[in-house]
Amino acid sequence: MSILLNKNTRVLVQGITGKTGRIQTKFMLDYGTRIVAGVTPGKGGEIVEGVPVYDTVAEAVTKQGAEASVFFVPPAGVKSAAIQNIDAGIKLIVVVTEHVPVHDVMEISEYAAERDVIMIGPTTPGIITVGEAKMGIMPAGMFNPGRIGIISRSGTLSYEVSVNLAKAGLGQSTVIGMGADPVVFTNLPELLALFEADKGTDLIVIVGEVGGIQEEKAAEYIDRWITKPVVAYIAGQNVPVGKRMGHAGAIVHGDGKGTPQSKIAALRTMGVDIAEFPADVVKLVSKHLGNRPKSK
Amino acid sequence: MRLYEYEGCKLFQSEGIPVPRYGLAANPREARTKAQEIGLPVVIKAQVLTGGRWLAGGVQSASTLDEVEEVTRHIMENQMLGYNVQQVMVSQKVDIAKEFYVGVTVDDYHGAPVVVLSVEGGVAVNRLVRERPESVVSKTVSMSTGLTNEEAKQMCRQVGLRSNDLTHIANVLTALYRVFHKYDALLAEINPIVRTKDGSYFAIDSKVELDDSGLFRHPELNITRESHMLNELERKGHAIGVTYVELDGDIAIIASGAGLGMASVDIINQKMRSANFLETGGGMTEELLYKATDLVMQKKGLRALFINVYGGINPIHEGAKGIVRYLKEHNITIPVVAKALGNHEQETWQIFKEAGVHVASGVSTEQAVEELARLLEVK
Repeated sequence: MSILLNKNTRVLVQGITGKTGRIQTKFMLDYGTRIVAGVTPGKGGEIVEGVPVYDTVAEAVTKQGAEASVFFVPPAGVKSAAIQNIDAGIKLIVVVTEHVPVHDVMEISEYAAERDVIMIGPTTPGIITVGEAKMGIMPAGMFNPGRIGIISRSGTLSYEVSVNLAKAGLGQSTVIGMGADPVVFTNLPELLALFEADKGTDLIVIVGEVGGIQEEKAAEYIDRWITKPVVAYIAGQNVPVGKRMGHAGAIVHGDGKGTPQSKIAALRTMGVDIAEFPADVVKLVSKHLGNRPKSK
Repeated sequence: MRLYEYEGCKLFQSEGIPVPRYGLAANPREARTKAQEIGLPVVIKAQVLTGGRWLAGGVQSASTLDEVEEVTRHIMENQMLGYNVQQVMVSQKVDIAKEFYVGVTVDDYHGAPVVVLSVEGGVAVNRLVRERPESVVSKTVSMSTGLTNEEAKQMCRQVGLRSNDLTHIANVLTALYRVFHKYDALLAEINPIVRTKDGSYFAIDSKVELDDSGLFRHPELNITRESHMLNELERKGHAIGVTYVELDGDIAIIASGAGLGMASVDIINQKMRSANFLETGGGMTEELLYKATDLVMQKKGLRALFINVYGGINPIHEGAKGIVRYLKEHNITIPVVAKALGNHEQETWQIFKEAGVHVASGVSTEQAVEELARLLEVK
């Protein structure tokens, strides 16, 4: 069991003919991902790594039954590609692209939400359901199949935590990079809900970082809805927080939120175990997995 | 990217928000000329990218031309909050009867624009939210419909604005939303927007932050990120396409990813102090890492270089070649510790080892930092 992605998911690669698209398609196929189509406008008819390329998403959906899409397109192309994918009926979209304009992210989010499409990213390493499939750029060797769900704001830190768990003989069900930008398509509580419902996940690890209010919101959600044990690490305790200036930000987000202290306090109050450093995640997870999951 | 006040004012004007007459001056003489054109009295305002200008004496009135020169000289000769003042804005001084606050920003968590209006401007806005919440109103706006004039008027009514105030402030709100939307802003704020004694309305300050990722859509603005960064090394980092953050210790850090970089700083700072951290993003090449190494090594008094990279989208073996080429060409003798995992890891270790770089033996950053501490004989 897993969330969002498994070995049967019919994946299309948007931007498959670009340099990164080609290399990553090979890595995803090697891992076992069922890639049924690629899309690059103007490159229809080509074959990349044995995968047929189409000009439009609609063709990829009609001819190959594509249902999920992973993006390797430049920032300026993300918005139109997202709208095309959503209109063609794709239900899960992973945007690996960095530097997508925030206004485009807001616009796409609104469009996707009205049509019940789940989007992950931008600036995400993607999703990996360990031992089955991956949509994104995670290096396969960092993971081990198991029953821990991981949600990370940072890409490379999710590898760090996973490889440390793997070395200790602890494996993961699904690992999700939620995206490192201030505005992301899908927030932490929504991903926690997916792991809570997943029969293949016994424990959830949150890898957070300074800035924003994702972890504070997650704490409220955990209090109400999450029965599985949660372990968290928050990066950036010694780094100055990049602050958006002005009164509007403080009015909208509330003063004093976004600091590591605020995140740690909020999560700890809700019974989440806080790792001081990334490797401590292993100790805390081991401690929990010795116990039964708490009931609520 | 934060804009200078005068740049923000230009954007306001482009959407019809009135701004008092102003000119820019780079020296006292120019300020005098501008003041003559505008008419006395004027306000001289230091153009700096930090807040707190008022308290630091960066905003001063002048009612004679000699005073204009004197005030300008004073502002430009003294550093403003640690930064040189290159330009001042000379603005027509208006008689203020009433101040308001208007702002549009991004609600990061909900991924939507939010418009905020307060019946009092100045520095009191935050306090007002706590003490008199009925005088502040905020509204989440849909990207597809924007802020309509009727919605803006509704906001004005909610905080008790009537007649001329209602019409004018509602117009300013919709215009400010257009500025926010048109220029890919993360923040567009007027604090304060004022009604003058003769019933005119003016924005007498601007605070605008644009989205760096949206800048490519706005060549007409003719401004670059680098021209709006305060730290020289951070500016250089941006110029080569990486994020550089200046810290105050003596261990330089290169990491692939901000989260991993911040975690490295957290771990190193237990026993040592980080000098900086450079985050490569997802576009690693040999040339980029050569330049990145050059950048972190600019810092004086370094004791070591710590490298923490993962091969996912990044070809870390290419990056390693750039790093070792720099180390060789510049005869770097301080210890260099590298932790490198993922695609092409074996190749990467080989390149580092041949150049005398200590390759971390485990998979955790903690262990790699322990090895660094041993090399430096830190207890």
